[in-house]
Amino acid sequence: MLKRKTFINWLSLGLVLPALLLLVESQQLCAATPKTLTGRQAARHVLDRLGFGPRPGEVDRVTEIGWEAWVRQQLNPREIDNEKLNNYVLEHFPSLTMTMDQVFYTYRPPYENDPPTQEEIKKRNTLRYDLNKELTGSVIYRAVYSERRFEEVMAEFWRNHFNVDQGKDEVQYLAAHYEQTVIRKHMFGDFSDMLLASARHPAMLIYLDNDVSQKPLSDREQRMLVRFENKKYQPRRVAALGRQRGLNENYARELMELHTLGVANENRKGGYSQRDVTELARLLTGWTAGRSGDSMMNSGDGYGFRFRESVHDDDPKRVLGMSFRGNEGEAGGIRFIKALGAHEQTARFISWKLCRYLVCDDPPTELVDQVAEVFVDSKGDLSEVYEAIIFSDAFMDSAHYRAKFRTPFEFVVASLRATDAQVTSFGGTRESLRRMGQPVYRCVDPTGYSDTAEAWLDPGVLVYRWDFALRLAQGKVGGVKVPGSFWKGLPKDDPAGLKRALAEALLAEGVDTEGWDAVEAALGKKPEAKQAAGLVLGSPMFQEQ
Amino acid sequence: MATTRREFIKQTGTIALGAAGVGALGPRTVFGAPGGASAGKPTVVVLYLRGGSDPLSALIPYGDRTYYNLRPTIAVPGPNGENARSSVIALNDYFGFHPSMAGLARLYKRKLMAPIVNAGSTHPTRSHFDAQDFMERAAPGVKSVTEGWLNRYLYMTKTHDDSDLRAVSFQPVLPRSLRGQYPALAVPDKNAQSAASVFAGLYGCDDAKQTAKSQEGSNAAKPTTEETPDKASGRGRIIEAGAQGIARLGKLNEVLNDGKLNPTVKYPKTTLGGQFRDIAKLIKADAGLEVAAIDYNGWDHHAMQGASYGVFGEMMGNVSNTIEAFVDDLGPKIDRTVVLTMSEFGRTARENGNSGSDHGHGGYMLAVGGPVNGGRFYGKWTGLSSRSLYEGRDMPVHTDFRDVFAEVLAGLYGFQADDHQFFPEYDANDKPMGLIKV
Repeated sequence: MLKRKTFINWLSLGLVLPALLLLVESQQLCAATPKTLTGRQAARHVLDRLGFGPRPGEVDRVTEIGWEAWVRQQLNPREIDNEKLNNYVLEHFPSLTMTMDQVFYTYRPPYENDPPTQEEIKKRNTLRYDLNKELTGSVIYRAVYSERRFEEVMAEFWRNHFNVDQGKDEVQYLAAHYEQTVIRKHMFGDFSDMLLASARHPAMLIYLDNDVSQKPLSDREQRMLVRFENKKYQPRRVAALGRQRGLNENYARELMELHTLGVANENRKGGYSQRDVTELARLLTGWTAGRSGDSMMNSGDGYGFRFRESVHDDDPKRVLGMSFRGNEGEAGGIRFIKALGAHEQTARFISWKLCRYLVCDDPPTELVDQVAEVFVDSKGDLSEVYEAIIFSDAFMDSAHYRAKFRTPFEFVVASLRATDAQVTSFGGTRESLRRMGQPVYRCVDPTGYSDTAEAWLDPGVLVYRWDFALRLAQGKVGGVKVPGSFWKGLPKDDPAGLKRALAEALLAEGVDTEGWDAVEAALGKKPEAKQAAGLVLGSPMFQEQ
Repeated sequence: MATTRREFIKQTGTIALGAAGVGALGPRTVFGAPGGASAGKPTVVVLYLRGGSDPLSALIPYGDRTYYNLRPTIAVPGPNGENARSSVIALNDYFGFHPSMAGLARLYKRKLMAPIVNAGSTHPTRSHFDAQDFMERAAPGVKSVTEGWLNRYLYMTKTHDDSDLRAVSFQPVLPRSLRGQYPALAVPDKNAQSAASVFAGLYGCDDAKQTAKSQEGSNAAKPTTEETPDKASGRGRIIEAGAQGIARLGKLNEVLNDGKLNPTVKYPKTTLGGQFRDIAKLIKADAGLEVAAIDYNGWDHHAMQGASYGVFGEMMGNVSNTIEAFVDDLGPKIDRTVVLTMSEFGRTARENGNSGSDHGHGGYMLAVGGPVNGGRFYGKWTGLSSRSLYEGRDMPVHTDFRDVFAEVLAGLYGFQADDHQFFPEYDANDKPMGLIKV
């Protein structure tokens, strides 16, 4: 293990060494263990798993510098120039860099009439639609075009891990800010920081109902509320009780089950009880989103996280063996979430999930153990955790080469990259993803979209993939064009040459004999280039990474 | 304690996975002697009215003055022979249907239809998102169950010779109630379907045009992947899923294109009408359809929902006319078919300031079909006084929707939900209300 690390450190220096030397080195590595992938396969593998698939020529470029060197660059996304992309984002998706207040003001302007006119309602709906389009468009755009490939791959992981659904209440106005300040900001930093940021972001608080979770009303208060509920006049003290409904355990449960400890089963001991869930919900009462003068807010009186003392349950609590006196207020919740982020079980759960995402659907226990150790030792430094996975023996094991079934999102992005497609608007792509069952930021389940074959391998989804593949090649996906340069490179009057060229362009190193035989038979004797490209994109091999 | 989706399925699925278990689950009650020679299973069609359909606009307590007090602008006038088309269709001296529901009222009088009042989820949420999930998974408050209730049923009772068209949804994305491990077919739109034929060869269905006739379309994929089992397991599954899609669409279209099955009755020219027409074709063709599910969106009528006329009436009329056509179209097959409607919650008893109603609690369900003990109301009615309303504002829930689900599964398929821990953390009422004939 130690030896491996030394080797890797040496490799990172290799960035400045002549590429040739590196090539020799990696080839020697291959020769040492017969199960290791060839240099080109390794390049394809990292581009697939850590980059949503190669663009034309990319496998060669990565082979040339060596996969390790490419990974080193990708593990340091901030060092990779991304100005072109950032400018595009600024210009086309302005809501992504706004504060939440700016978003509300711009995309949900106050009504001037009461009740609002039909035009006002219409205008708001249009703006809301625009806002949704910006976020989903930006997700697709970045995934296809960012030079920081691995950053996008991890953004997809974390946006599912800490899933929020645009369809719930106000989340649509908050999701872009959430992606920027929770997911992207912390995904190469400490897990605990991301966890706490998610716990304090209005998008999460609203999505999982913590914003309405309140210290339960006393019986007397409850009676009073019912008595006056349908009356026109309500005494002020009754009105103040508002629509309080008491404790909501939704977020407390998911915080432990989905975000940190994982649910208990034979392999992973979850180790929390229903009582822990309830106690944690009590501890987090008062963690809400809102707007008003409050010292806890980040930006003046702006919209944001707000700790509401008045609905906080200040009785003593005990969660997972930790005691809270009750008078700690907001600090109690922060203390607990930090402990949760550093919990050994969290280290294991997150490591297991990352291995599942990056290596294979059912990752080997030794690998998970090894990665969890790094998680604990590094105090949850995610960059180190990623590094431990990618430079493990298991990651490059040939048994895991093209062993993952692409999710619809991975399939669509990989198709756009493989064909060097120009995406100028996102409606067609967005709609295709919706039909495949994976609309961006619309996963209603707090689990987020799964990345395993089990979740996606169903007949209906494949039909839509085929449809997308054919339409993409024929230029019939709205806003998407496969450029002339892609087609020019293909031989016209040489069927065998055309097939070879397509295999290389779209499947580079992702071809095996039996898979290719089937494709070749399906292409027939005189394939037409566009139809043929569509067939290759819809073939079983292209569904793998 | 929380249960993961997989564990839940593991626990509950064990019985079904043992080959012998299946027989035990087989239908104990057999309907359809009048239905003809077919020994196939009955069909349940689940129609989900998405958005929170207003119970007081559908099943109208016209005999209660409070109804008119609560709803000054959206109440429907009581029965009046002269203006029959704009007044309540009385079914007894207290309840009647919305005037758009003439078709359903006729079915009610033929004892083929029954409404259930104050039915719904006991969970207090008023969020569409949660309430729909809870209902479609039949697991209120339990978010770790992510498989739909219909899918769980299908999975737990699957056999090796399940029809390829056992579970179908005539829409591109499955409703949540049908999502899960059992491969239900979401029918892609026509444009996408044409892609399937292009890929037939590549996914091992060289004889795609004949697969409809083949009894084992999905097995056609195997030969290409036998040599390398290690990789083939992944690749093989992809090819198999593709072949399944092609074979199922082939079979489906063969039925749908069969002119002999065209209806002699008129369906509304709406999406819903078309969906029910296609479902009827599958049933008439004895294609092995057991579960069909349809979403009907747009019931969240916060403003201008209308009284006798208006958006609610239009949508309800569509439902009513469609279902009546469906019943007539099926002929004797209706004796083995049940249509069940539901919605995630009801709405406020009092109308709001925009001539609409807001998210509420208790809702309603409608059951239609030969196996239904129709011609009467089900559920407990406790009136409209603020004391009897939930939290003083909404219709209460007196009938848990899971009890209805359980009764339908037991009555149609002899499937006893509780014997299989079908509902997490819940046992259905052991005294059925008699909705389904036994």
